[in-house]
Amino acid sequence: MRDKQIEDLKDYKYGFSTDIESFKAPKGLNEDVIKFISNIKKEPKWLLDWRLKAFERLKVLKEPDWQKPKYPKIDYQDLYYYSAPKSFKDKPKSLDELDPKLLETYQKLGIPLNEQKRLNGIAVDAVFDSVSVATTFKETLTKQGIIFCSISEAVQKHPELVKKYLGTVIPLTDHFFATLNSAVFTDGSFVYIPPGVRCPMELSTYFRINASDTGQFERTLIIADKGSYVSYLEGCTAPMRDENQLHAANVELIALDDAEIKYSTVQNWYPGDKDGKGGIYNFVTKRGLCKGKNSKISWTQVETGSAITWKYPSCILKGDNSIGEFYSIAITNNHQKADTGTKMIHLGKNTKSKIISKGISAGFSDMTYRGLVDISPKATNSNNFTQCDSLLMGNKCGAHTVPYIKNKNSDSNIAHEATTSKISEEQLHYCQQRGLNPEEAVGLIVNGFCKEVLQQLPMEFAVEAQKLVGISLEGSVG
Amino acid sequence: MEEQLKIDFEKKLKDFSYSEQEKKFKQTNFKEFLKQGFPNRKLENWKFSDLNQIIKSNIGELTFYNDYKKENQIDKIELINDLEHNKLIIIDGKIEKIDFKFEEKDKIEVLVEQGEETIKENINSLINLNNAFSNKFCKVIIKKNYSLIKPLVIYHSTNKNTQSKNTNLRIDFKLEENACLRLIDIFKDNSEKNFLNIYYNFELDKSSILKNYKIDKSMNNNVKYSYNNVKQQANSISETFILSSGSKFLKNEINCDLQGQHSSAFVNGIFDLDEENHHEIKSNINHLVENTKSYQLVKSVLEKKSKAVYQGKIFVSSEAQKTDGYQLSNAILLSENSEFNAKPELEIYADDVKCSHGSSSGSLDENSIFYLMSRGLNYKEAKKLLINGFLLDVIEKITDEEIKNLIKNLLGIKE
Amino acid sequence: MLKINNLSAKIDNKSILQDFKLEINPGEVHAIMGPNGSGKSTLSNILSGKKGYDVTGEVLFENNDLFSLETEERAHKGIFLAFQYPLEIPGVNTNVFLKTSLNAIKKARGEKELDAIQFLKLVKEKAKELKFDEEKLGRQLNVGFSGGEKKKNEILQMSILNPKLSILDETDSGLDIDALKTVADGVNALRKKNNSFLIITHYQRLLEYIKPDFVHVLMNGKIIKSGGPELALELEKKGYENIN
Repeated sequence: MRDKQIEDLKDYKYGFSTDIESFKAPKGLNEDVIKFISNIKKEPKWLLDWRLKAFERLKVLKEPDWQKPKYPKIDYQDLYYYSAPKSFKDKPKSLDELDPKLLETYQKLGIPLNEQKRLNGIAVDAVFDSVSVATTFKETLTKQGIIFCSISEAVQKHPELVKKYLGTVIPLTDHFFATLNSAVFTDGSFVYIPPGVRCPMELSTYFRINASDTGQFERTLIIADKGSYVSYLEGCTAPMRDENQLHAANVELIALDDAEIKYSTVQNWYPGDKDGKGGIYNFVTKRGLCKGKNSKISWTQVETGSAITWKYPSCILKGDNSIGEFYSIAITNNHQKADTGTKMIHLGKNTKSKIISKGISAGFSDMTYRGLVDISPKATNSNNFTQCDSLLMGNKCGAHTVPYIKNKNSDSNIAHEATTSKISEEQLHYCQQRGLNPEEAVGLIVNGFCKEVLQQLPMEFAVEAQKLVGISLEGSVG
Repeated sequence: MEEQLKIDFEKKLKDFSYSEQEKKFKQTNFKEFLKQGFPNRKLENWKFSDLNQIIKSNIGELTFYNDYKKENQIDKIELINDLEHNKLIIIDGKIEKIDFKFEEKDKIEVLVEQGEETIKENINSLINLNNAFSNKFCKVIIKKNYSLIKPLVIYHSTNKNTQSKNTNLRIDFKLEENACLRLIDIFKDNSEKNFLNIYYNFELDKSSILKNYKIDKSMNNNVKYSYNNVKQQANSISETFILSSGSKFLKNEINCDLQGQHSSAFVNGIFDLDEENHHEIKSNINHLVENTKSYQLVKSVLEKKSKAVYQGKIFVSSEAQKTDGYQLSNAILLSENSEFNAKPELEIYADDVKCSHGSSSGSLDENSIFYLMSRGLNYKEAKKLLINGFLLDVIEKITDEEIKNLIKNLLGIKE
Repeated sequence: MLKINNLSAKIDNKSILQDFKLEINPGEVHAIMGPNGSGKSTLSNILSGKKGYDVTGEVLFENNDLFSLETEERAHKGIFLAFQYPLEIPGVNTNVFLKTSLNAIKKARGEKELDAIQFLKLVKEKAKELKFDEEKLGRQLNVGFSGGEKKKNEILQMSILNPKLSILDETDSGLDIDALKTVADGVNALRKKNNSFLIITHYQRLLEYIKPDFVHVLMNGKIIKSGGPELALELEKKGYENIN
C-alpha cells in the first residue's frame, strides 16, 4: 500500500496535500451557501444580489453535453463551495503571519512567495483552495498605481472598478459552468493597470486545490486601461485525490484603447493515475474583450494536466484594429481527455487574429481542437490565420480537429491549415544515432513541434513548460 | 404537417400492394421521421443550414403524396445534345424511362420489383422520409468487367403543376468487380417550391470505378437534398464532382466508407452561387482499413446574398494506418452580403497517417484585377478571367474529358 | 575495433546481405564501393541499429556485441553514422540538437557535460574549420538546408562528437567539388591513430581526397573483391560489371 503511494507520488511531482485544517461551508449548492460565502467575505449587497441572480439563472441552464470527452455526472449538491484554511478566518496582514505550513507548500511548488525570492521579479498572488493567500510586491506595484490583489480585497477597496467590469465579458447568463462560477466564486486575482502604465514585472497567480471534495471557483478580472501593458502568468497544481475535483474558473480580460494583455497559463493539474482515476476536471471559461481601438489580447497556454480539460480562451475583437492571439500546446497521455481551442469573434474593422495550436496525444488519450473564427459583416478588412497541428503517438489515442469558420465579410480573409502526423521512425533513429535515448529524442522532437508556442511564453515559464512537455510524455514511447 | 404526413402516408400504403416486409419497412421509417421531423440547426450536421426553417420560409406547408400510377410526359424535357448518353428520366420521383441503348444488354441489369435489400443503418430523418415515401425499389447492376461505353445521365425533373410537394427518389447501384460507370445527375426543374429528396446507394466491388457528376446549373426555386452512400471494396475508386449553383437550396451529402485496401475517394465541388441561394456540401470520408486515400477540393464563388457551406470530415479508424487524407476549400466572396462557412474536420485514431486540411476565404485579389486592367481588360472581363482561373483548378480534377468539356461549357469557361 | 562475421540481413524475406565479413582495426580507413542495390545502405543501417531487418551473424565493436545495444548506446560507445539523407527536425535548433547530443554521449561515458559557453566555443571553432556558415547553427535542424549543407552539417556533427568509428553513407553524393573537399578535410582532420572510418560510396571521387587503406567491392550483398586504393581506380575504369 505504502509502496503504491510512493510510486504514485513519484509520478506526479506536485501530488502532496498540506495538512492544514480547513474551514468549509456546508456541502451543497443553495441560496444559503451563497449567502454564507458572501457574508464571510463581507461583500456589499449588490454583489450578493448579483450572485443570487446568477443562481436563479443557473436553475434553468442545462449542463452542456456537446463536448467530446464525456464525464460521469457531477453531483453539485455533494461539493463544498467554500473552503479556507482555518487560520485564514482572520486574514493575515503580511507574509510573516502566514501559516508556516502553507509557506512550506508554496516552497514545494516552487512559487516565489517569499520576500527573499524577490529577485525573481514576479509578483505572485497565490490562491489556496478558495482563498487568496498573499500577494507579493504590493508596494512596488502600488507606486505605479497598479492594483494587484485578490478579488475579495478589490471588492472591498475598489468596488467601483469591480462593479464596472465584473461580468461584462462573461455575462451572468452565459453557459452553465460560467454561471455556476458567478454564483459561487470564492476568490481569485484582480488586476488593474492605469492608463499609460507598462507593468514592470510579470504578474502571477498560482492556483492550488488542496481540500478534497472542493470545487475551485476562482474569478480573475484583469483590466488594462488606455495605453497600458501587462503580462500575466497563471500556474496550477493540485494534490492527488481519489475523487475527481472540479475546477470551474472564470477569467475576464478587458483591454481598452491601445492596451495590451498577455495571459499565459501553464496548467498542470493532477491528470489522474494511469487509469485516469482521480484527476481534475478543468472546465474553465476564459474570455478577453478587446474593447478599445488598437487593443491586443494574447492567450498562451500549455495544457498538460487534468483528467479532462475543456476550455476555449477567446477574444472578442470589438475595437477597430484590435488583435487577438491564441497559442496553445495541449498534451494528453494515458486516459486524459482534452477538448480545447479558441473563439475569435471579429466585430470591429481591421481586426486581426492568429491561432496556433499544437496538440499531442499519446497512450489512450483523446484530444480535440475546437475553434471558431467568426468575421461579422461589419468587420471590414479583417483577417485570421489558423494553424492546427496534431501529433499522434500510437494508435490507441485520438486526435480531432473541428474548426468552425464563418466569413460574412467580403473584404476579410480567413486562412486555416491543419495537419496530423506522427514522429517518424527515421527522425527517431537519427536522434538516437546521435546518442539520445528514445524518450529524450521524443522530448526534443516534440519540443521542436511546439516551438512556435513555447516562444510566446515568458522566459521563466518557457523553461518550465519545456520540461513539462518532456515529463508529460514519459512512458508513451516504446 | 403531422396531419398531412399521416394522411399522405395512408394514401400511399393503399396505392400499391406492398409485401408485409415492405410495409413494415416503410412504417418504421415513417414513424422515425414523424418523431424527428425535418433536421434543424440543433443537429451538428445541420448547424449551418436549418432545413426545417428553409422549408418553412421557401415552401411553407408541404404535401407528401405522389401518384406514381400517373403517366408523365417526358418529351418536354430538354436533353443534353452534345454528348451521346444513356438515359434515366425521372419525373416527380418516378422513373419514366430507362434507356441503355449504347450498351450490351446482358451487362446491365435493372431491378425494379424486388425490394428486399434494405439498408438498416439509421442515417438521418430525411432518409427515413425517403424510405417511407419513395416509389418502388430500383437497383442498377453493372456486371463484372463491364465498362459502360457511354455515360448514364439521370434527368431529375418535375411536372409543371407540381408545387409545394415533397418528392423522394431512391436508386441503388452495384458495380461488380472491375466494372465502371460514369453517372451524370442533372436537374431540369419545370415547377417551383418543391422539396426533392434523393438517396443513392453505391456498392463498389473490387477494382470498380464510379464517377458521379452532379450538375445543378439552371436557376430554380426548389429545395433539394441529395445523399450518396458509397461503400468501397479493395482498389475501387469513387470520384464525385458537384457543380452546385441553380437551386434555391441544395445540400449534397457524400458518405464514403473505404472498406477495402487501396480504395480511394475523390470529392470535388464548385459552388457558383448568386441571389439568395444557400448551398452546402457535407462529406464524410471514413478510412476504415490500411492504405486508403481521399482527396477533396471545393471552391466557391459567391455573389449577392448567397451562402455556401462546406463541412468536410475525414475519419481515420485505428486500423487505418497509412491513410492519406487531404482536403482543401477556397472561397471568394464577391459581395458584402455573401457568406462562406466551413467546418473541415479531422477525427483520427491511427498514428501512421498523413492527413491535412486547409480552408481559405476572402475577396478577389484587387492587385490581380488591376494588373489585368492595365493590360486592357475592363473590370468585368478581368473579374471573369480571374474567377474562371480560380475554378479551373477543380474542373481539371475531372478525369473524364468529355464530361469535363461539358461542364466547362456550362460554366462558360473557354480556353 | 569492428568485427563483422557472417552477417546476413533480410527485409520482408528479401535477402540483402549474405555472409558479410569485414574487420576494421583502429586507425584504418575502409571504403566499401558498390552499385545501387548492392546492400551498402543496409550495412550502415544495421551498424547504426535501425529497426526492421532480420539479422543473423555477429558484429563486435570493441568486443561488445553490437546487436545487444540500442542505437543510442552504440552512439555512446563511439559509432557515428553520417546519414545519406540527413533528417529534418522542424522547430529544433541545430545548436540545441548538437549540444543535447554531445552531452548525452558525455553523460553516458561519465564525462563532464559542457556548459553553454564551452559548447559554443567548441562549435564555433569546428564550424570555422569546416567553413560551415555559423548563421545556420541558429536555424532549425536541416530545415531549409541545401543538400550540400546537410552533408556538411553531418561532418560538423562528426567532428564535434569525435567518434571512434565513423560510417559515411554516400556522403559524397550531391556534393560539388568545393563541398567535397571540405568534407574530406573534415575527415582527414579527424584521422588519428585510434579513429577508424568506413566510407560507403558509389564513386571513387571522394577517395581521391580521403585515401583509404582498404577498398572492398560489394555486389549482391557480398564482398566480391578487396584490395588497396588501386582497386577503386580499377573499378572506375572497368565498371562494376567487369570486375573480377
